[in-house]
Amino acid sequence: MEINEIKTDQCVIIGITGRLDTTNYSVLEKKIMELIDNNSTKILVECSKMDYISSSGLRILLMGLKKITLMKGKFALCGLQENISEIFEISGFTSIFDIHASTEDALKVF
Amino acid sequence: MARYIHYTDPNSEDMMRDLEEIPRCPGICFFMDINRSTDIKYQGGLKDWGRKLNNTFNNLLYANHFQKHVVKGIGDEVMLFIPDEVLQKKTSNNTCFALLEDIYAALFLIKNHPDQDLYLNCKVAIHYCTEVHNITFFEGADDYYGSDIDLTARLMTKCVENRIVLSEKFYIKVVNDLINMGLPMETGCLARVSERFMENFRGVPVSTAYRVIDVQ
Repeated sequence: MEINEIKTDQCVIIGITGRLDTTNYSVLEKKIMELIDNNSTKILVECSKMDYISSSGLRILLMGLKKITLMKGKFALCGLQENISEIFEISGFTSIFDIHASTEDALKVF
Repeated sequence: MARYIHYTDPNSEDMMRDLEEIPRCPGICFFMDINRSTDIKYQGGLKDWGRKLNNTFNNLLYANHFQKHVVKGIGDEVMLFIPDEVLQKKTSNNTCFALLEDIYAALFLIKNHPDQDLYLNCKVAIHYCTEVHNITFFEGADDYYGSDIDLTARLMTKCVENRIVLSEKFYIKVVNDLINMGLPMETGCLARVSERFMENFRGVPVSTAYRVIDVQ
């Protein structure tokens, strides 16, 4: 998995490429915690190049959402591939996350 | 597929020879149970418990990852057995540590989901088995028998809602995975692992060491 970070006027975009699973979820966890520690409370996770997510990956996203919500910030996701969308659906995540089709759509809500 | 054991002569010497030659099949055995599912059957009927069981089993992604290895279910308790050779071929969940992490995460997601009416909390017992054979006494069935399978079932007696009970044998495999990956011992859910407990389980002639991880 690779992570890249883009700072925009509205938010910080974290792009995930590859598989988010038990072997690498801590990298994403560290990145989200770093942003929170630096008072970045508007985070968009761009998932169009993420092709797999395990429960460990979902756990980190849920923790990110909870922390940012407590800080009255915004945590959103965009560009989920079909198989990832399905996992979000069966995990009951589609109702609790702010999910957008594309980065452009997502940036409108920040 | 399991070796089918079936002889009509109760004193068959061929059967004795056959049983002697059956190889061991080392791997991970785990039992998982869904809490309160019996209560819900009485309270809410099929629609309510069926919905929650569907949602809960779907959310246990690690189990779905190995769904061909669900060996048997008794009530709402399910037993999975993952032979070493199957685990090693996976691209994800291919070590004991990875599997434990995903089990923890799945239980965490259910426990911490904002809508508590969708899922039921779970408990899991895991053991690394060496005394186990892939045999069946019923044609066409896949099954595993052995003293280590029995021990995994015994570990379930130490399990409560949102808890993972792991035998010391499984814990050592997890620790070895961490060493191989160059990761510290407190990585992931292992930061929450208990001290070692000992228990004399019914029918097991020696004391069994185990640890627990309570999902936060």
